[in-house]
Amino acid sequence: MIFSRNWLADYVDLPADAVELGRRLTAQGLAVEGMEERGDDLLLDLDVTTNRPDCMNHLGVAREIAVATGAELRPPEALRAGGEGDATDGVSIDGAAGDEHPADAVAVTVEDPADCPRYAARLVRGIRVGPSPDWLVERLASVGLRSINAIVDVTNFVLWETGQPLHAFDLATLAGSEIIVRRGRAGERLTTLDGEERGLDESILVIADRDRAIALAGVMGGLETEVTESTVDILIESAHFDPSRVRSGARTLGMHTDASHRFERGSDPEMCGRAAARAAALMAEIGGGTVAAGAVDVRDDRSWRLAGTLEADRLDAFVGRPIPADEVARALTGLGFALEEIPGGWKVVAPPWRYYDLHPGAGGRGEAGREVYEADLFEEVLRVHGYDDVPSTVPTASGPDAGASPEFDRRLYLRERLAACGLAEAISYGFYGPEADERFPAWGPEDGVIELANPLSALYSLLRRSLVAGLTESASYNLRRGAAAVRLFEVGHLFARSGDGEPRETEAVALVMGGLVGQPWDGPRQLDLFDLKGVVESLVEAFQVGLAFEPAEVRGMVPGTGAFLRVAGKEGDPVGFLGQVDDPEARVELFAAQLETAVLGRVPFAHPVTLPSRFPGIEADLTLTHPREVSWEEIARTVRQGAPEHLVEFGLKDRYEGEGVPDGAVNTTLTFSYVAQDHSLTSEEIQRAQAELARALEERHGWRRSGDG
Amino acid sequence: MTPEEASAQRPADPGALAGRFEEEAAAVGDRGGWDELRIRWMGRKQGIVRGLLANMKDVPPQERRDYGQAVNRLKTAVEEGLERLEGELEERERAVAQRSAAVDVTLPGRRPAVGAVHPTNLVIRDMAQIFAELGFSVAEGPEVESDYHNFTALNMPPDHPARDTQDTFFLDPGRVLRTHTSPVQIRTMEARRPPIKIICPGRVYRNDNDLRHSPMFHQVEGLAVAEGITFADLKGTLEAFLKRLFHPDTGVRLRPSYFPFTEPSAEVDVTCPFCDGAGCATCSGSGWLEILGAGMVNPRVLEMCDIDPRRYSGFAFGMGVDRVAMSRYGVPNIRMLFDNDERLLRQI
Repeated sequence: MIFSRNWLADYVDLPADAVELGRRLTAQGLAVEGMEERGDDLLLDLDVTTNRPDCMNHLGVAREIAVATGAELRPPEALRAGGEGDATDGVSIDGAAGDEHPADAVAVTVEDPADCPRYAARLVRGIRVGPSPDWLVERLASVGLRSINAIVDVTNFVLWETGQPLHAFDLATLAGSEIIVRRGRAGERLTTLDGEERGLDESILVIADRDRAIALAGVMGGLETEVTESTVDILIESAHFDPSRVRSGARTLGMHTDASHRFERGSDPEMCGRAAARAAALMAEIGGGTVAAGAVDVRDDRSWRLAGTLEADRLDAFVGRPIPADEVARALTGLGFALEEIPGGWKVVAPPWRYYDLHPGAGGRGEAGREVYEADLFEEVLRVHGYDDVPSTVPTASGPDAGASPEFDRRLYLRERLAACGLAEAISYGFYGPEADERFPAWGPEDGVIELANPLSALYSLLRRSLVAGLTESASYNLRRGAAAVRLFEVGHLFARSGDGEPRETEAVALVMGGLVGQPWDGPRQLDLFDLKGVVESLVEAFQVGLAFEPAEVRGMVPGTGAFLRVAGKEGDPVGFLGQVDDPEARVELFAAQLETAVLGRVPFAHPVTLPSRFPGIEADLTLTHPREVSWEEIARTVRQGAPEHLVEFGLKDRYEGEGVPDGAVNTTLTFSYVAQDHSLTSEEIQRAQAELARALEERHGWRRSGDG
Repeated sequence: MTPEEASAQRPADPGALAGRFEEEAAAVGDRGGWDELRIRWMGRKQGIVRGLLANMKDVPPQERRDYGQAVNRLKTAVEEGLERLEGELEERERAVAQRSAAVDVTLPGRRPAVGAVHPTNLVIRDMAQIFAELGFSVAEGPEVESDYHNFTALNMPPDHPARDTQDTFFLDPGRVLRTHTSPVQIRTMEARRPPIKIICPGRVYRNDNDLRHSPMFHQVEGLAVAEGITFADLKGTLEAFLKRLFHPDTGVRLRPSYFPFTEPSAEVDVTCPFCDGAGCATCSGSGWLEILGAGMVNPRVLEMCDIDPRRYSGFAFGMGVDRVAMSRYGVPNIRMLFDNDERLLRQI
């Protein structure tokens, strides 16, 4: 938000050095985001946080400067709080000569004081609407506003001076000389000052006359009642609207104005009367009219001044160092708080312009009668005191917290293992499109996809139920850019709606691999399904989890290459899948796997090793001719079931089909390692064991010519 | 036999033969020549030394003693000579073999395939480790959140203006993709009593997709709630953390700011790690980089979690992780972190 140094200087003496001014404002919570020389002026771009609508005007910023520097704040006479007539804010105005009371000219009705706790109005008659004087044009230009006419300019000026949004009606255009603050009606329409015709409804607060809506309350005036060059009599509206009401109306209509920006965050309810008086006096001064002596002021009897208690020792304990009492008093008084000393601290009354920030109910709608949170008062003292002067300590609080968490550690270990296997970690968005969703097995129940109500686009409209979908996308991205091979993994959440409609999510890991690896000079190799499977196997082995690979037709995988994954010995839904990705357009064969990480459990803390024997072992091979349909898993199971004593390991040595092997059969050569812990094995022992194994394998899986029975 | 005859038949003088052996040995150039030399001199049947010993019987008895000693000297000399010569030949052969094994050591090596952890997750790992040393544990939660946990419990009731700044992805009514990991703080305070010291890393989502923003990014937030937690504790903890994360000389600055869930609140800047605070393009010449937001937990947030703010106080902080990863690895655009381009990822 832009502020003018020259304008601020009207209300407070400024440090001569602009950098020093910027430093002080930043240190107190109004961060200077930029400075720009403009003629003899300096424009300050301040980051005014949403809780400080009181600083969204020059007087408010001037108050902060006064507190920071100790300088005196000099508001214009008409705006001085606590002056004559403050109780009703019916401030007397020099030059207000009319005998007429505005209430005689217009009847104001507020239908619901919750929507509009206060509606003040001033009347200026006999005005000549013309251009603004140079000083006014300049002031508005400094905050980026174009001059329209003196009347409109004065309302904008007072907004940027006091933070109180104003609106000027052409009195002659008000049907029935009536102002009614009410909700919009379904089907009702209003053309606003920007020329847009807008449809109204019950959620939108409007200003109406007898016949129709004439303004969007707190947002923008209507075209038909605007001040023009032919306007003679002006009604100045200076109201206080409920922030959430203005906000919801502006959102419904997609509008955002200087006025709505302030009302939504909470304007100063006690500024209404003074701001109207200030504007009326300026208008009369420039346009030569007569200000009616009194003011309309429809208001509820709510107090906008919140009370609180500040205990000195609690402040010190909160900050972590003692803050001198005079410093507390100076800071709070300067910010507009009223203080009354009590033993050990102060009773505090907050200024009305801080009502919405300090109200103990969330967003200003909490329980009535509660005191301001002490932390709010601590904050005010602390930001004036300066964060820089607070010492640095570390909490002494002990407790159960130490180190990461089992899940976090699992993820770290998982990532390190996969990186050690040569894969690079990818991160994809948590959402994708319907096409991606249909491509691969979806986690969770069949119809359980969760939709985004406001997606970036249809390509990102669903929460993902598959990590493989995103990884194959990334694989294509890499291959399109000339990668010879892709080896990627991702750890992330999958989302689905469970049977009862509630969203659920789980963490999974997925891998995608494919392409040519190795150096061109060193026999490069195409990655295949067993490179992928080997990574999965080594991963689960690291977590000491046994995984069963169950051959299956898996959605999105080439038929005959897919498998579902289960924890060995556990029934129920599969915990993952793998296979060759079915993609006719793929540049290389891609292989993918996905596994829910919960099945990996904790990072193994310890596991005993088998000590190597002191005695030499013996290796022996065995070749089995068997039908191609017999899986390795079946053969391995037979070996495991009939495992002879001292057999410590067995594995695949070779597979062969072709010449010398019958059609439909395959030769599988297995290799066996025998070691005894207590003696050197003899070849007789091994031959016996191998013969038994060979018999069992032959009987169960051996190839028989058709007709052999 | 006459003495003359005996003298004529007497074998050659062993002492004189030593010189001949040395001459012959000097002429040997390879293993074959060495074998011939050995057989000629030490052969069991025809060898010269063997022949001399066999001739012993022809030596007059009174000379036999001297003769025998001379033959033995010769034998020792030949054996030693052969051994020395064998060593020399081996040495020569090894040198030849080594010459043929010479390679161009500047040729590329055969690298094992090594992968990489994502840069963002490396930063999260480092942050978790630093906070583990400061006595914080890791808490995590769902990415699909209730409106209550994402907003209301953080003092952002419906219609709160601060909700505007968090472009939210909405799901079913009352459910959102979390816009920050703060709901994990709420869930932790609902589940546990103080003292609490946690950090909450994770993915978050904002409906904000342009050249400089990603609709998904990562945060690490932190929370400490206990009796007697002070603003000074917040400051000291963040300083300790940031100096470990960046550099021991890193300057840390807290500026007053506003977040609905903390009070007071602070924006936290560090001296720019690229120019050490001198001012550069990365820090827009200011010498400072805004790195995180922090503050003392708003008493209203504590109350909503049924924690008495008169008894307990706490601090909270939060930061974007991806920006730290970007600055650490010189990645200019957050979206590049999520292109999953292996050419980038494998450099990490």
